[in-house]
Amino acid sequence: MAAQIFSAIFVIIIGVGGCVAYFWGANKLLDLTFPSRGVTGTAAVNNLRRQGLVRPWLFVGPALIILTIYLIYPVIATLWLSFLDRGGTSFVGLANYEWALRDPDLRRSILNNLLWLAVVPAACTFLGLIIAVLTDKIWWGTIAKSLIFLPLAISFVGASVIWKFIYEYRGEGQVQIGLLNAIIQHFGGQPQVWISLPFWNNFFLMIILIWIQTGFAMVILSSALRGIPEETLEAAVIDGANPFQIFWKIMVPQIWGTIAVVWTTITILVLKVFDIVLTMTNGQWNSQVLANLMFDWMFRGGGDFGRGATIAIIIMIAVIPIMVWNIRQANKETGGH
Amino acid sequence: MKKMLLLGVAFGALALNTPAHAELKFKPGEDSRFHWANFEDLKKVDLKGETLTIFGPWRGEDETLVRSVLDYFSEATGAEVKYSSSENYEQQIVIDTQAGSPPNIAVLPQPGLIQDLASKGVLTPLGDDVAAWIKENYAAGDSWAKLGTYTGKDGKSGFYAFPYKIDVKGLVWYSPDNFKEAGYTVPKSQEELAELEKKIIADGGKPWCIGLGSGGATGWPATDWVEDIMLRTQPPEVYDKWVKNEIPFTDPAVVNAIDIFGKIATDDKMVDGGAKAVAATDFRDSPKGLFTVPPKCYMHHQASFIPSFFPEGVKLGQDADFFPYPPYASKPELGTPLEVAGTLVMITKDSKASREFIKFLEMPLAHELWMAQKSFVTPFKGANKDAYGSDALKKQGEILVGATSVRFDGSDLMPGKVGAGSFWTGMIDLVGGKSAQDVAADIQKSWDAIK
Amino acid sequence: MAVATGKSFVSRFGVHIAVLVFVAIWTIPTLGILVSSLRDKDQIVASGWWNSFASSSQTEAGRLPPATAQTQKDGKYVLEGNIFGDGAKRNISAFGVKAAAPTQYPAGSSADLGDGITLQVNADGSFVMTSPKAFEGDRGQRLYYASSAPPKFTTDNYQTVLFSEGIGRSFMNSLTVTIPATVIPILIAAFAAYALAWMRFPGRALLIAVIIGLLVVPLQMSLIPLLKLYNGVGTFFGVPSKTYLGIWLAHTGFGLPFAIYLLRSYIAGLPREIMESARIDGASDFEIFVKIVLPLSFPVLASFAIFQFLWVWNDLLVAMVFLGTAPDQIVLTAKLNALLGSRGGNWEILTTSAFITIIVPLIVFFSLQRYFVRGLLAGSVKGG
Repeated sequence: MAAQIFSAIFVIIIGVGGCVAYFWGANKLLDLTFPSRGVTGTAAVNNLRRQGLVRPWLFVGPALIILTIYLIYPVIATLWLSFLDRGGTSFVGLANYEWALRDPDLRRSILNNLLWLAVVPAACTFLGLIIAVLTDKIWWGTIAKSLIFLPLAISFVGASVIWKFIYEYRGEGQVQIGLLNAIIQHFGGQPQVWISLPFWNNFFLMIILIWIQTGFAMVILSSALRGIPEETLEAAVIDGANPFQIFWKIMVPQIWGTIAVVWTTITILVLKVFDIVLTMTNGQWNSQVLANLMFDWMFRGGGDFGRGATIAIIIMIAVIPIMVWNIRQANKETGGH
Repeated sequence: MKKMLLLGVAFGALALNTPAHAELKFKPGEDSRFHWANFEDLKKVDLKGETLTIFGPWRGEDETLVRSVLDYFSEATGAEVKYSSSENYEQQIVIDTQAGSPPNIAVLPQPGLIQDLASKGVLTPLGDDVAAWIKENYAAGDSWAKLGTYTGKDGKSGFYAFPYKIDVKGLVWYSPDNFKEAGYTVPKSQEELAELEKKIIADGGKPWCIGLGSGGATGWPATDWVEDIMLRTQPPEVYDKWVKNEIPFTDPAVVNAIDIFGKIATDDKMVDGGAKAVAATDFRDSPKGLFTVPPKCYMHHQASFIPSFFPEGVKLGQDADFFPYPPYASKPELGTPLEVAGTLVMITKDSKASREFIKFLEMPLAHELWMAQKSFVTPFKGANKDAYGSDALKKQGEILVGATSVRFDGSDLMPGKVGAGSFWTGMIDLVGGKSAQDVAADIQKSWDAIK
Repeated sequence: MAVATGKSFVSRFGVHIAVLVFVAIWTIPTLGILVSSLRDKDQIVASGWWNSFASSSQTEAGRLPPATAQTQKDGKYVLEGNIFGDGAKRNISAFGVKAAAPTQYPAGSSADLGDGITLQVNADGSFVMTSPKAFEGDRGQRLYYASSAPPKFTTDNYQTVLFSEGIGRSFMNSLTVTIPATVIPILIAAFAAYALAWMRFPGRALLIAVIIGLLVVPLQMSLIPLLKLYNGVGTFFGVPSKTYLGIWLAHTGFGLPFAIYLLRSYIAGLPREIMESARIDGASDFEIFVKIVLPLSFPVLASFAIFQFLWVWNDLLVAMVFLGTAPDQIVLTAKLNALLGSRGGNWEILTTSAFITIIVPLIVFFSLQRYFVRGLLAGSVKGG
């Protein structure tokens, strides 16, 4: 045990220290190779220019290498797989894409995904923002924030158990152990099997993700709100702005960039999320989504890598509009530099 | 505070003491129920310094049980045995074999998946002598040997998987006390069962507790039931054709079986909680209705593993018992068919230790050690039946050996997309009110799509 | 914040109420499993968790002793005893001998079971059964009774999980995986994010686009190609392919796009004046980054650290693929998963595991909370 702790600490120091040493060392090396101090005239200017050419790559280099190995290479492998058959051995051309166009499950998943995309990011961002603003104003805000953050710390397996105890259905007249049905029965209503109600069950699954992700939006937005200069807010108060005006006209525009980040992140998460659907319904009762469908084709009963890969590519294509929008945003921000 | 401290010390001590040599569950040579000569034979095999990695589906209590058997193998041969499992084992075995880092031995319960692995060429054939051994030594040996035979990458069929640890399916669980008090008797035929159902309803009770919920696998308990009905209404040859899709799902024989189940599950009078509750109730919670006071239902259809989900304190044999899902008296020619499931052992990375492990499974001892504990039934005729740890197990063993025809869980034999996909979802649709004909058509469509 | 000054009492009160409502909605589901994890395993599915605090009236089944325990008294055969045995006594209100009518007789009364057999069960659980003929069989008579039971909580579930073998080791393994897998991506991403936000070089826009695109790569797709690569590297250098270094890098890779994306957008929003004045003072990019950008970015670094920590801590799939399952490598999630049993979990283990895994992330969250406060100070610097 003790040995394990020491070796753990040792490897942690090596790993983290190695990173620090790289950045510091590489930078130092660059300064020594092209000195800009102690030389004068054109030499200094030239060296500065050369430094300017190399240094960005020193900074992004490690990230680039890791991204290439861990994500770009698999993406290319996936693209290649999407042209192969189920075992990933023989070339089938566009057959998988043709299948995708015709598959009713896939169409259903796309529709459901659109629904998720319309609801979840908006709800999370909106709720997160409101909670961030409100908790900033009260003395027990930190505690409140921690409690709202709590769901984020729960694994998906844990979350699915939690929501089982909310949505659980027992026959009419029996003791309900699901909170939602217990409340409804208490007020004389009919208990429902929430996760199998067509169409509406999508929303019951979304609530789970909203419950988890609002904490994320809140934490990020809260730290952005704290970045708003206090003078700005004080000036608004002195000018007689009411809290709603302050919120919409001062706070929201000031942190617009962060809102966009939160929105984008949750949008992408929605495209990827499958654990909730897998554990709650596994796509039954018309609640299938793309990521779960991909998982299904990839691994269920030995798997069909070709079709699984094709769905993965479709998910990646779906993100292009978000990409374009973000790049525009990025260019706008840094356009002046 | 002191208590906390003690707890901490205990915690630390537990973490520190990972015993190098686990105590053997039964001391070799002591209990005459076991073939201890096997253990002596095993000692002659020297595997010192060899590591045997095993990846299997057994977790929790089952993991403790399998480890207690593996202990004997490592104790006698000197091999280091590393067993592991995970909830995602299906996914992980696909990833590991594809990427080229498989364990030595893989244990899987799905023939469909095994066929897939075999055709990708990642399994090592066990050899015809092992197949011959199974035919010789297992009750209904031909069907077990057939179950282990798959088509390899080269298109030739070979024996790849050794059946070990069988679950008896098609059992009906009940509370003998509830039956006695209400004056019900165990039905011997489907006709008697139908009478019993009527009687229970007339007495104001519900005959069945059915729960199809199982997270991502919701629906599977219903497929077992449909397969049971198939075996009791059709000859086994029709069943074989069905699972290979040589007769379509829309065949009247299949539609009839689906319909019979559908009529039970969608009848509010037949099922505790009504039809709506069937798909929503978790299969782990559903048998608990047998033991409530007053009972929510009188019968529960499930495989031999279900007692692990009975409430605490329920004694098997006294508070709970089972009878086989009965055959039709009107179809005596079908005899007493039986549906089983089970795990199959494969070599995914060949080595001396892997081969010796398969040989170990041919020894009665490997079966008896688990039989003497819990949840293990074997068709191996050479294993001592007195070794069964409980009367319930013994009775299951007798059912298994006494069946006139044995068939493996059909949904596991079908391609994953059907057997672990559209067949499940179809059953959900069925209890949701769709007609048997439509459900069968949907499932057939999904099968056509992957051909 | 100063905004709250000068507001009416009512509106301030309203804020408290509103936050309280949010907190309640967000906490109740979790509270449900906390309570469930402390309940008896059969109780969990028998009644709603919100009922567990009240003492409940429940109907149960018991069994009288078998015939071997009978005595003879006044020419009659008698079975005597207490249905609760040596256990805690409860108050019985009614009893019965048929499951279909479990509360047929009030406590204290004598039930006529036919054939001259009588059974009396008292409120304290004591019973007397008499018969003119000898009792037979080794199966005792079933007895059903309604009693009021006080709320019952247990720590058994936690003991089962916490004292399972090797759990301490797996806890350490999880930390060994999680800490570097959180710190390394932060360092790498911070430098990259700074370069992408404040340095000019060709291909920058393309890089940003690629990183956003990579955010969406489904993890499952990359497992097989990567594991193949690992196995290849492992065989080539003659080292094991499942190592801690391997999983750190894997988690770093999977976390990097989000890290760079998040940090870049924050760092790009830092006021330009500060950077420019530093540059005029002769600071190099490295110095600007270390001395100005890093301290100013603490809130966002802390946020990312939390998310990455959570993700790695709760991960099961990546750990199972890139790390072994031997005692020296198995992580906590995998260990807990193995406790669940072959057929998926029992609720009591699931609820308890969920709570045990949540503790460490919460500690991390609370300890990083202070950096958000520091972010507030940084904000006022920023305004200048």
